[in-house]
Amino acid sequence: MSALLEVRNVSRAFRTTLAVNDVSFAVQPGELLGLIGPNGAGKSTLFNLIAGVLPPSSGEILFDGKPVTGWKSHDIARVGIARTFQIPKPYRQLSVVENVMLSAFLREKSIAGAHKLAEATLADIGLADYAGLPANLLTVGLLKRLEVARALAMQPKLVLFDEIMAGLTPTEVGAMTRLVAELPARGITVIWVEHVLYAIMKTATRMIVINRGRQIAEGTPAMMARDPAVVKAYLGEEMILA
Amino acid sequence: MSMVIPAPISSTCIPVLPKRGQISWFEIVLLVMSFGLVVSGVAPSLQDVILLSFLFAGLGLAWNIAGGYAGLISFGHSAFFGVGAYTSTILLLRYDISPWIGIWAGAVIAGLFGAALALICARLRGPFFILSTLAFAEVVRIGALNWVSLTGGPEGLSIPPMASLVGMVFASKTTYAALMLGYLVFVYAITKGLEASRFGYYLFAIRDNEDAAGAAGVNPLLGRTAVMALSAALTGVGGSLFAQYFLYLDPTYVISPELSFQFALLPAVGGLATAIGPVLGSFLITPLSELLRSHLGNAAAGLHLVIYSFGLMVVMLYFPAGLAGALNKLTHWRPFR
Repeated sequence: MSALLEVRNVSRAFRTTLAVNDVSFAVQPGELLGLIGPNGAGKSTLFNLIAGVLPPSSGEILFDGKPVTGWKSHDIARVGIARTFQIPKPYRQLSVVENVMLSAFLREKSIAGAHKLAEATLADIGLADYAGLPANLLTVGLLKRLEVARALAMQPKLVLFDEIMAGLTPTEVGAMTRLVAELPARGITVIWVEHVLYAIMKTATRMIVINRGRQIAEGTPAMMARDPAVVKAYLGEEMILA
Repeated sequence: MSMVIPAPISSTCIPVLPKRGQISWFEIVLLVMSFGLVVSGVAPSLQDVILLSFLFAGLGLAWNIAGGYAGLISFGHSAFFGVGAYTSTILLLRYDISPWIGIWAGAVIAGLFGAALALICARLRGPFFILSTLAFAEVVRIGALNWVSLTGGPEGLSIPPMASLVGMVFASKTTYAALMLGYLVFVYAITKGLEASRFGYYLFAIRDNEDAAGAAGVNPLLGRTAVMALSAALTGVGGSLFAQYFLYLDPTYVISPELSFQFALLPAVGGLATAIGPVLGSFLITPLSELLRSHLGNAAAGLHLVIYSFGLMVVMLYFPAGLAGALNKLTHWRPFR
């Protein structure tokens, strides 16, 4: 079985702090991998290393069997890895549909084609009513969904979701969870960082827990809820996990 | 999850800012009026003002491609203007190459200077970028002042005032006005094409959020370099035309912070990142500054600058989206639907 993404002994230091410390894991095609850990555990840094925002200090990253270590983010995007930003980063002066079109250009070179793909993606995610609004008028919840729409419009092989549930109402969390759960069947492998644990525990096929830059546990969501190291890292949160 | 979106009130008004990729009636009327001004045979002193308005509208548009659409605010564009002017003039005086060809050589070299500036400033943003563009133009100006064998140094270069089509020197100001209007329409057409193109969208993305643009597969450095080269090349064309009209250039005349500010000011007043903005800006400001200077320049030295600056402050304070934005509001057209 060949992994879609392989992270080998990856570390990243900021001055003297090791934000990510010798992390290794592999993601198989069709997986929905949950990545959790307390605040400051290094989840976002790990995402930034995979997405090419930062180069790792050491270690190797392979995508589809090819080394992509240290590639720039636009090259990473072109091999088929999409990502969302924890703090939404919309193009504020563009409309919602234009925001999504910029991602769609990766697959559809013509303006008309990209517009069509963007509108289909917006309909998919329940943002069709907002297509013509400038992105700077959206609320945080809508911006989170715009992030997801932009990632999916790239028709990626692998998508990295960084806390897409924060700021959503419980109803919206339910709808978004269903959408994410469908992705593997559509040929999109998912790595998902999330603080809204009940959503991710229900959906993920496998989980990795990191704390202080190190991987401390790996297994099914049910196993994670019983793992003493995980419970300790999430001190006082075992109720939510269970 | 539905929301009431206001419908555009479009039946009676003339939209100033058309939808991306379309041309509005306002633009067509403005073009026809400009053409009318060229052929109407107004007094030569007015023709001066008219043709300069055309030229500076084109230069404002060229600046706006980088400064407005891509957010690369440059206060160094007079360097590209000077490079264009010097290239076509040196080719004409030294090698007897017609400016009709020299202009394009000037555009290429100015474009290379633009690409160089973008690469030098690859990691700089905001005020650091702006200050570097200012310094870049100073380096080019001082280089031109000191490379006497090529540029004639502070004495400058003069083009013989003999009317000839091949030499692009004309006896009639009407011909020059037509030439400048041609330049304006040329840069305007490129701007409109850019607005409706994929590359144009890439520029908006780079301007609004570089991280997000990168995550969507857009190479920000490549985009910045390409757009700066394009903007610089078009500015260089304007520089060559300026030289062919005034028939004289020296480094401080064609490369100066004042000139660079002027290029940036026209789109800022008229409306940044719109095609019509720099044109409106130039049609207001160029005549204003020329007329104030000719009427008040002798009577009270410096008074024209005071009035001019005051007018600018009023526009900036009360029309932050520029003249295009203000006119657009007047016509009640909704910018989205």
